[in-house]
Amino acid sequence: MPSRNLALRLTPRVATWALLAVACSCSTPPAPPVAGAVRIRWAQDPENLDPMVLPNPQAIEAANLLHGSLLQLDYAQQLFQPALATGLPARQALGDSLAVLTYELRPEARWDDGKPVTARDVAFSLKLMACPPGLGLPNEDARLAYRFVREVRQEAAFPRRVVLVCAGQAPTHLQATGTFPILPEHRLDAAGRLRRFSLAALQNWPATHLPDTGLTAFAQQYHAFRARQRGNNLPGCGPYALAGWTKDARLTFRRKPAWWADRLPASVPAVLRAPCPLLTFEIVPDEATAGLALQRGELDLFPQVPARLFARLRQSAAARQELAFHAAPSFEVVTVAFNTQRPGLADAPTRRALGLLLDAGGLLQATQLGEGQRTAGLIGPADPRAGCCDSLPPLAFDPPQAALLLGQAGWQRHPDGWHRRAGTAAPATALRLRLRYRTGDAMQETIALQFRAAAARIGVPVALLPTEAGALGAALRAGDFDLCVRTVKGNPFSCNFMPLLHSRAVGEGNVSRFGTAASDELLEQLAAAATPAQQARLLRRFQIMVREQAPLVPLFVVPTRLAASRRLAGLRAYGLKPGYAITALHRAAAPEPAAAPAP
Amino acid sequence: MDQVAHRRRQYAALAWLLLVAGAGLAAPYLPLPFAPAEPDLLAVGVSPAQGAGAGHWLGTDPLGRDVLAGLLFGARTLVLVTVPAALLAALLGAVLGSLAGYGRRLAAPAPAWLLGAGLGWWGLALPRPALGLAAAAGAGAWALGQWLRHRSGPVWALSLDALIQGAGALVGTVPRLVLVAAVATGGPLSLTGLGLLLVLTNWPGPARLVRAETLRVRALPFVEAARALGLPAACILRRHVLPLALRPLRADLPLRLAAFVGLESTLSFLGLGLPPDTASWGRLLDAARLDPAAWWTAAPPMLALLLTTGALLILSKK
Repeated sequence: MPSRNLALRLTPRVATWALLAVACSCSTPPAPPVAGAVRIRWAQDPENLDPMVLPNPQAIEAANLLHGSLLQLDYAQQLFQPALATGLPARQALGDSLAVLTYELRPEARWDDGKPVTARDVAFSLKLMACPPGLGLPNEDARLAYRFVREVRQEAAFPRRVVLVCAGQAPTHLQATGTFPILPEHRLDAAGRLRRFSLAALQNWPATHLPDTGLTAFAQQYHAFRARQRGNNLPGCGPYALAGWTKDARLTFRRKPAWWADRLPASVPAVLRAPCPLLTFEIVPDEATAGLALQRGELDLFPQVPARLFARLRQSAAARQELAFHAAPSFEVVTVAFNTQRPGLADAPTRRALGLLLDAGGLLQATQLGEGQRTAGLIGPADPRAGCCDSLPPLAFDPPQAALLLGQAGWQRHPDGWHRRAGTAAPATALRLRLRYRTGDAMQETIALQFRAAAARIGVPVALLPTEAGALGAALRAGDFDLCVRTVKGNPFSCNFMPLLHSRAVGEGNVSRFGTAASDELLEQLAAAATPAQQARLLRRFQIMVREQAPLVPLFVVPTRLAASRRLAGLRAYGLKPGYAITALHRAAAPEPAAAPAP
Repeated sequence: MDQVAHRRRQYAALAWLLLVAGAGLAAPYLPLPFAPAEPDLLAVGVSPAQGAGAGHWLGTDPLGRDVLAGLLFGARTLVLVTVPAALLAALLGAVLGSLAGYGRRLAAPAPAWLLGAGLGWWGLALPRPALGLAAAAGAGAWALGQWLRHRSGPVWALSLDALIQGAGALVGTVPRLVLVAAVATGGPLSLTGLGLLLVLTNWPGPARLVRAETLRVRALPFVEAARALGLPAACILRRHVLPLALRPLRADLPLRLAAFVGLESTLSFLGLGLPPDTASWGRLLDAARLDPAAWWTAAPPMLALLLTTGALLILSKK
């Protein structure tokens, strides 16, 4: 492990200077190894390609290439379009607490072995996500996220029709039920062991009961299948297949020569087009190295370009000849999360006090050159739902007030720092913090340095722990930090914050390890909100709860910034992750003409 | 004429080094408007011309840190890490090298060796640490048996020369930068921790020099005479051998300091070793990567490093 960390740390810096030297000595950009291939920068390795796990945004992007879902997001229109389904689902209210969604699958939809994608595959995928915890399946997040699907019905006469009965009548069910990856039952459960169980039986499996022998046998078979696949890659019906994976270096996805959607008529939705024959994701953790690689022509697309590099490239006449620049407002909120299970940070008043040490306005100016927006909550000002929370003011930067609030929270300042005693006999707790952030990320480092300096001014010592991207996720999930800098990705379709803050997601997406009975109930109500009015009311309560409990401090919304080769066609910037529609990308025969100089 | 020019160069080098040391040690007491690790969010990446009005006389780096403060506190880090580390490495090398060169043997009862080896195995958590404890327990039982029977067991002697040479060769098998970087990857080190790491990975050089010189001196007639007079070995080593054997270290010390300056800066440039909020010239150079056009971030530490290592090289020449 140390040697891997060492290699990870040394490579970007050495590579930067090597690339700088090469960039100075040579001006001919290297051609991609395969005609038509597109090379994209990833900041970290996806680690796992199992669509049930998806530990980081890169894994989600890879899953979207490998697997198909009922619906798929059309980035240009910010709408969900039918993918495996023939159309958007027919929706019907059932009483006042249930909704029934009926999907029809496309007859052309096929697995790679030619077998059709059927309702059985949809039911299998949902049941796989609902399997009880005792089996050791990696479905913790999925089980929580899809718990609202209470029943899946199939009809023998219509093998391509699937009916989903959902708890609540939230409009967001459309997005949630349409976007999970569909997996092949005949490959992963040929014996049909999961068919014996209803979805509700799996969801409500008593924690005290041992899993059924059939379930155990299925889990063993599933684990064995995963272990045989590279990176736990499972068979999918997406447009691409994994062609190569060099850990921490690159992943290559090759377009399937006979993808089922190629047989669809010409009026096929944009989400079912994938014109690029080969996609290569180059793992370049360091932003400066990635910028040089882009200028050198060794990358075609650099998503999430840091603000200063973006501005510098746009000002450079030479860069403008080779590169195109795109930007759009996004739903990504930069936050600082507290580990609420640490003794010193277990109470909300302390967290609120420390939140006043973050200069969100100054950080927005310094790291984003003022582009982006300050935000008071996890719903940013650009979000159409933000109106319900506009009375919440952004948090002020106020170190003296922070010191005052720490005193009110029971902390006493001594020459060696702040201490608090829970009782007369209890040992004193010292307020010493460890802040973890991603190394090589200038924005995160600036936030860490600013917080440390402000905390030092009121006598709170903060140790900075820059951590490699690969190790950061594991450290955060294990709770090995007091504070961390984290970007929370959002979208305008869903109000499901359970993976982020629900107590059942502790150790997974809920890195702040926050969760009370009241907050859990609020999150569940919000995810199931049936009407826009109810959703707005609950969102407001949610934003206020986040402010009062302060498990994390939202700082600002960062815009999407893309810099790409002018030979790359089909590229536009969108607010949703990853900021571009990957299935629209392809290499053009001739480069796009250079634009006028940036103002 | 050459001698005069060389003397002048030495004075200039000494003056520069004194300036660096003085500035570094006085840095916390200087009226600097900004702390080295505190970003000025309103002046990120500003050049000296743009930043002078706001008190950033040498500009700021792409994270908003003041370059002048970084340079001065970086000099402090350099002085506090490299000077004690070079002196300690020389001292450790001198002690070990003289012991190796004088040919002492380390003798102890066999159970004591076994006990030490077993406890060492267990303490270092080598594979199957219980084996180490078992060996230590066995050695203890052996010693107890001998004591109860009033018998003395075998005494094992180990050549200190072989031991020290072997340890030095072991440290030398891995390139120094890789060795130090591999240890530093475990997490941020304190100034003391980094200094000790430099000492532990750099003592073999001085040790070899002193050993070679000790081997030469111990064969000289006056040492033979002292031995014939019956003077204790420790006395001969301390009063007659070491004063001569330590001479090569005078020339070696500036060179070793220059190597340590380079090593500390390299580690900081690579993001290893010291915590990110500890100023260092290498860290300033690292920040320059974020904006290659910000020459004011890279030029001052590069120049300072060049002058410092150059000055140390000049001082090492006679």
